[in-house]
Amino acid sequence: MLRKTLNNLPRFSQLCGLSRRLQSTQAEPAPAVTTTVSTEAEPEDIAVIEQRILKHPDYFQVHNLFTVRDLFNARVHYGHKEGSLDERMRPYLYGSRLGHLIFDLDKTAVHLRDALNFVAHIAFRDGIILFFNRNALNAHLVEQKAMEAGEFSHTRFWRGGIFTNANVQFDAVTRLPDLCIFLNTQNNVMSQHTAVRDSAKMAIPTVGIVDTNCNPNLITYPVPGNDDSPAAVELYCNLFKEAILRGKRKRRDLLGLPPLDESQPRRSRNTKTNSN
Amino acid sequence: MALRVFGLNLVKTNRNLLQNACKPTAMPAGQAVAAASYATEVTVHATPAAIQKQKVSKAMKAYLTRATEHDEFMKTQHLEFQIGKRHLANMMGADAETFTQEDINEAISYLFPSGLYDPKARPAMKTPEEVFPARKAAEFDETGRPFHSMFYTGKPNFFQLLHEVVEETNKLYELEERMLRRGIKPDENQKLEIAGFQVLPKDQLERLLVESIADIEFTNFSNTMDRLIASPYSYKSKAFIERYLKPLMDQSKQLEIPKPKIDEQGRQYITTYECLRKTARADVTVRMPGTGKITINGQDISYFEDENSREQLLFPLNYSELLGKVDVEANVEGGGPSGQSGAIRWGIAMCLRSFVDQEMIESMRLVGLLTRDYRRRERKKFGQEGARRKYTWKKR
Repeated sequence: MLRKTLNNLPRFSQLCGLSRRLQSTQAEPAPAVTTTVSTEAEPEDIAVIEQRILKHPDYFQVHNLFTVRDLFNARVHYGHKEGSLDERMRPYLYGSRLGHLIFDLDKTAVHLRDALNFVAHIAFRDGIILFFNRNALNAHLVEQKAMEAGEFSHTRFWRGGIFTNANVQFDAVTRLPDLCIFLNTQNNVMSQHTAVRDSAKMAIPTVGIVDTNCNPNLITYPVPGNDDSPAAVELYCNLFKEAILRGKRKRRDLLGLPPLDESQPRRSRNTKTNSN
Repeated sequence: MALRVFGLNLVKTNRNLLQNACKPTAMPAGQAVAAASYATEVTVHATPAAIQKQKVSKAMKAYLTRATEHDEFMKTQHLEFQIGKRHLANMMGADAETFTQEDINEAISYLFPSGLYDPKARPAMKTPEEVFPARKAAEFDETGRPFHSMFYTGKPNFFQLLHEVVEETNKLYELEERMLRRGIKPDENQKLEIAGFQVLPKDQLERLLVESIADIEFTNFSNTMDRLIASPYSYKSKAFIERYLKPLMDQSKQLEIPKPKIDEQGRQYITTYECLRKTARADVTVRMPGTGKITINGQDISYFEDENSREQLLFPLNYSELLGKVDVEANVEGGGPSGQSGAIRWGIAMCLRSFVDQEMIESMRLVGLLTRDYRRRERKKFGQEGARRKYTWKKR
């Protein structure tokens, strides 16, 4: 249900009607957020608000989260060697230097803003967001950031059937994530992460960082960029975390709930058996 | 006043939630609404801009039905158990109110005598809590959102532990780097002493985490722990490391050799109780210095008629070259001559450890003098003459 309504979400770039070059810098002033909700009036149902904000091009102001310069500094533009290029990634390339492919960061920025906008909307709607990463170097960082955002992570070996056979795997009816974020979409250089295929099977939308050797076809919101460097992964993690927190803060604000405690990451509750 | 405003806030926010979520606050909430008419400090923030219809996810619904079904089932089982107990008490002529589980066990074994070997196969009556396994509590809230950040890995507690170990390691690496820059070396005196300790074995870790772990995952865990321990500053996270270490107590305890005591004649002596072999059982006392006198149940070595048994007794004394230098007293019961002599032999060998040097003890261990002999009589099989021997068989 959540996914269906989100299909109506217009792509950020379409709505803004700006050239891509202009969007990629922070200088452009954001359209003012129209707060039509009057405080004296009878409170609205949040579902109505959820529908209405879809018409806004960038309700959570995610465009000011980063600049192209930030991407460049985090080494997002580095691709793999020419020989490993997946043909489907060619449109996102700027060129090659000394045998290494270089991403066009303007295109990356557009895709990343789309993805961030989508992530913030999902977080606003109380969706479950699951972070993936199979690179051991960055696994700890990703888990940490997921915890800080109050969301979920899976950086380990993927047992088949976690999505497709969930009710058996978890011994109960289980709510699956509403969004999967892949910090890298490959298991290793040879094979794609099985969860990419499985989320497509279960109609779970995906956001994925796709490097030059990856296949972006099954990813709902592909973001072309370097998925190996710790600096780049840290940047992505921070951006996604901030987008999630913006969505959550807005929801709590509207519902009049106390603000999120962001000083400490949520500690795990010990899940032990007890008789019921 | 602030509290009242907050109460008002709460009422408007969660009209639906309130009914089941916060019953105790429901009563003063009425006062808060009444107070709102003359309240002057009510800010705009007090009224939320939106309300949320309470939704219960499919997962939670399924869990709740499962839980109620289980509760109902347990209730009927409990009732049946009470009725059964009452019947048993009547049959045994006892008071049903004071009939305990022990009485039930007694009554069952009296009323339904069973010759079955395995206790689990015999008839029994226990409380339903003991018979039916406990169910897992829900790991998610009303909206179906799991509590644990690594829920979808299937082994959240284990991977959380790995995460924590890596966090500690990273902290130590950072510290090392800082210290290197300042030119400070780690304190050698505080170095973590882990000799005599080992990383928690797999079964104990599984019990600690309430999760089953694959072999490769356990290998990953012990490797990660090793990396943490190997850090020069590992003493900084001593408390964390020690939680997942287990002392190697069992072996060192066995290696501990009792000190000889002094009797009234000023001789050293040591007694070993419970020397077992086959069905024989002996207590052996060895005194030093002595003349080689051997006393078994008040008799001398002629207690054993066959030569083999006598040789058995003398072997540890002979081997440790203490024959004729110590006195042996033994009380032995049960079994036949072979078992009795074996029991005494083991007892003498264990006592002699206190009178010889470490090298000799190790050599005695290698010879097998200090090893308990667990062999028992092998049963006769049907279709055979004995344990192994077959009946005579001729083709024609």
